[in-house]
Amino acid sequence: MIDPGAPVPVRLSAALYRMLTGLYPGDFRRHVGAEMAETFRRRSRDAWSRRGAWGLAGLWARALPDLLLTAFHEHRRPSRTSGRTTDSPERGHTMTKTTMTGGSTLSGWLSGVGQDLRYGVRMLVRNPGFTAATVVTLALGIGLNAATFSAVHSIFLRPLPGVEEPDRLAQLYQRFQGDFAYGSNSIPHYRDLRDRTGDVFENVAAYSFQPMSLSADGRSERIMGMMVSANFFQTYGVEPLLGRAFIPAEESRDPGAHPVAVISHGFWQERFGGSPEVLGRTVVINGHPFEIVGVTPPEFNGPMAVAEPPIFVPLMMQREVIPGADRLDQRRSSFLQVTARLRNGVIMDRAEAAMDGLYRQLRADHPDSYSESGGITFVPQSEAGLHPSLGGAQMGMSAVLLAVVGLLLLIACVNVANLFLARARGRRTEMGVRMSLGAGRGRVIRQLFTESLVFSLVAGGAGLLIAFATARILSAVEPPVDGPWRIEVVVDGTVLLFTLLVSLAAAVAFGLAPALQASGRDMASALKAGGARSGSRSRLTRVLVVAQMALSLILLVSSGLFLRSLQGATAIDTGFEAEGVLLARVDPGLQGYEREEARQFFDRLLERVRAVPGVHHAALGMTVPLGFDSQQTGIAVPGYEFAPDERRSIDYTIVGEGYFEAMGMEVVAGRTFGPVDGPESEPVIMVNRRFADRYWPGESALGRTVASRGERRVVGVVETGKYKKLGEDPLPYMWFPHDQVWSSSMILHVKTAGEPGALAGPIRREIRSLDPDMPAADITPLETHLGLALMPARLGGTALGLFGLLGLFLAAVGIYGVMAYSVAQRSRELGIRMALGASYGSVVRMVLKEGMALAAVGGVIGLVGAVAAARLVEGLLYDVDAFDPVAFGVVPVVLLTVAALAVYVPAHRAAGVDPVRSLKSE
Amino acid sequence: MHSSHIDPGDTAMTTTDAAARFLPLRPVEFDILLSLGRAPLHGYGIVQETEERSGGRVQLQLGTLYRGLRRMEEEGLIVEIDTPDHVAKEDERRRYYALTELGRAVAAAEIARMEALVREGHDRDLAGEKGRA
Repeated sequence: MIDPGAPVPVRLSAALYRMLTGLYPGDFRRHVGAEMAETFRRRSRDAWSRRGAWGLAGLWARALPDLLLTAFHEHRRPSRTSGRTTDSPERGHTMTKTTMTGGSTLSGWLSGVGQDLRYGVRMLVRNPGFTAATVVTLALGIGLNAATFSAVHSIFLRPLPGVEEPDRLAQLYQRFQGDFAYGSNSIPHYRDLRDRTGDVFENVAAYSFQPMSLSADGRSERIMGMMVSANFFQTYGVEPLLGRAFIPAEESRDPGAHPVAVISHGFWQERFGGSPEVLGRTVVINGHPFEIVGVTPPEFNGPMAVAEPPIFVPLMMQREVIPGADRLDQRRSSFLQVTARLRNGVIMDRAEAAMDGLYRQLRADHPDSYSESGGITFVPQSEAGLHPSLGGAQMGMSAVLLAVVGLLLLIACVNVANLFLARARGRRTEMGVRMSLGAGRGRVIRQLFTESLVFSLVAGGAGLLIAFATARILSAVEPPVDGPWRIEVVVDGTVLLFTLLVSLAAAVAFGLAPALQASGRDMASALKAGGARSGSRSRLTRVLVVAQMALSLILLVSSGLFLRSLQGATAIDTGFEAEGVLLARVDPGLQGYEREEARQFFDRLLERVRAVPGVHHAALGMTVPLGFDSQQTGIAVPGYEFAPDERRSIDYTIVGEGYFEAMGMEVVAGRTFGPVDGPESEPVIMVNRRFADRYWPGESALGRTVASRGERRVVGVVETGKYKKLGEDPLPYMWFPHDQVWSSSMILHVKTAGEPGALAGPIRREIRSLDPDMPAADITPLETHLGLALMPARLGGTALGLFGLLGLFLAAVGIYGVMAYSVAQRSRELGIRMALGASYGSVVRMVLKEGMALAAVGGVIGLVGAVAAARLVEGLLYDVDAFDPVAFGVVPVVLLTVAALAVYVPAHRAAGVDPVRSLKSE
Repeated sequence: MHSSHIDPGDTAMTTTDAAARFLPLRPVEFDILLSLGRAPLHGYGIVQETEERSGGRVQLQLGTLYRGLRRMEEEGLIVEIDTPDHVAKEDERRRYYALTELGRAVAAAEIARMEALVREGHDRDLAGEKGRA
């Protein structure tokens, strides 16, 4: 019955219904419960495919009253074994009613519900203190769930906006030897994917983010644009708002023959004021004029949920977009993302199987080009998230956050259930009167349940406000990375539906137990007894104490683990000193510089920047560690035999003289690059300690040869650091000298003793003084840039820290509430004990002992749960043991202290009261 | 066409008598009998069949439907059968229901009752122009 391919709302809807079938009597449930749940899953799927979130909402609006009503009737049904005849009480009864109302008892039921609703609303208004406490508690719980869900939904789960039938899209990656399943594709490889898969795909498109130097109406800036295949817009099913999209014929013409561009709606508004005369105008990209032929519709943000590329240019303009590189026929030069649209009726499995066949053919046709690859990875768009290589982490973190807010909501529900229980005590007489006047047990349950529903829906509405506010805050967060990134968190129909379902589930969770309790068997006797406590009532209270304790412990231990992990992450040794380093991205190639001109530009720039007061070091590096860019290249090491499936590709970057000094990287052997490593000198390379230990274990790496871009001699060994992400295992890494391995896109690294931001102005001036047209807007301190690597831990840590504090607060209030209530219930008994001569101390001790015994039981259950939770999240923790003694030691102590205080206060109060008065008050 | 002779002992006469005791049927019961008239179906199939047959006007709610199925099974109007051979993989392991002889008799009796009512309506000129056509 689990259907991993179904959209999330459908799965949610099915799961909630399955849960709600628990309301039927056991016999009925065993017989048809699973069947009903399965049928409802299919109904949800149908409703979703027809009308989306509205369809689901409509389905639920009809299904929920039906479910509650029929569950209620099933509970009342006397016998289930004997076949009934016409004179069975139920059929007879229904027949009369059917005859009287002309076919349906629905109208009678509806008017009853209307009555209950009005009564529920009256209860809400009549007791503002009670209402405020319950609604605020629930609204926090529901609101945090809605907010977290809207963030996870917007970033990972939501189908791409503005795209036709996103369910039929899939991403194709190249699998490489080793463990890398999600590699990019080359242009020739893409052409084969497009031309040889017609039986399963309708269209196959390719795209790639590319830095471009763009000038329109006199202003020039460096942007991240997108280079796309001619059928890109067709594949995504996007019709331009103005003008035209690219036409597939543009791909068959000569490379470079078609300098046209499609701009995004946002860019059109921002740079051209939304003028319709934009078509036919020219923008200059990397010094080449491109004609604007189309504008995308506002709802389409490109092929990634978190980015908004301002401009799209055809793939056949690759030579103009990436100067100095010709990748059109390079089968090994992989840099493209590929998206396929499945033919109607083709299932994902068949397409995936077709990819295996195609890969075998390609490998047979081009054995050299595919020597390192292992196949084609096929990922349905709905499962790709941001990038499937983030798969485990993105889904894991989302699941953790959702689980934590779910726990928080449960804790809130326990609190509210307790408030309702306490109130039910005051309403025993009312219920007794109702039942003695002939209201059935079911009728009373329905009324109480409707009240809970009213409360939870009001709280759900307030919770939505929290979700809206959070969405605005999150949408304003700018990731500290280069690119058109935009995290758009939206509260859409799916989030509304989720919130509605969560509110309903909460109403069931906190409303049902008190409702059943309040209408219990001895209700009629409540009239006589005037509210004496019932045995089952205090059992329920005890269950609530245990549950409260257990849930709080799981929540706080998990949050504690992540906070410790954040602490660990900030303390990780990255192998470089980020403090005082300023980065400036410069690419003379994009301004049309030839290689020799660009080299002179870099030399003069370095010379000038080094002369700026306060600058200690200045050097060039192609990439920044722990950023988004990373590149590998194959190597051979004489004397080292690679195992058949061992990876030959090693991560690298290209750096200039002074780089290791500017970054504060520790050189453990040999030297760094210097003026001696010129273009005509002996080819050299530097490697890290991990690299040296792997290929020459126990021997010195200095003077050894590595074959990569020619044979190179190792001149220096650097301490192993972190290169791609903080949590990575030690990785072999290598550095090429910029004077020998050319790249025109470089990042100037400037080290200063002071505040690096203060140097941004002077450095921009130096760049402009050399070339006024050179874009120099993108200047950021390295520490800001590193925020990206820390962002998951920071965001997660902040959220979990907040949730943890809130959880602690709710738990403290809740434990106090249930304890105080359970002691108050016993005031009569305690009064008798004291009247019989028990001392203050012995009464307090007795109550404390009983309360703490419950807390301890809850604590043990909670610890077991926390251990299970810790095992689940183990893989997401940086540098922290899943059974971290701090988290597992401090949290139980804090909670037990809270519990002790929560028991002591009411115990003290009960023991201090004059026994005669406490007996009289009953 | 399937057939399940669950009440082989009943003669036609006693079946009719027995059937009369179930009248009038609730709407959901009649819908179930109608849906199963052609072939055995599972719950989802009944929902779909009813929706198609009524042009989308009747959407059976699952609680009502399964309560009805359960009751009618207990009363011997329908019977659960083994999964038919031809069904799609997704539909294996679902509960399939088929009409019993009693169920058919009850459907026939209900239809006869309704026809009598319709005739009455026409006789008293309550059916309107459209009904007369």
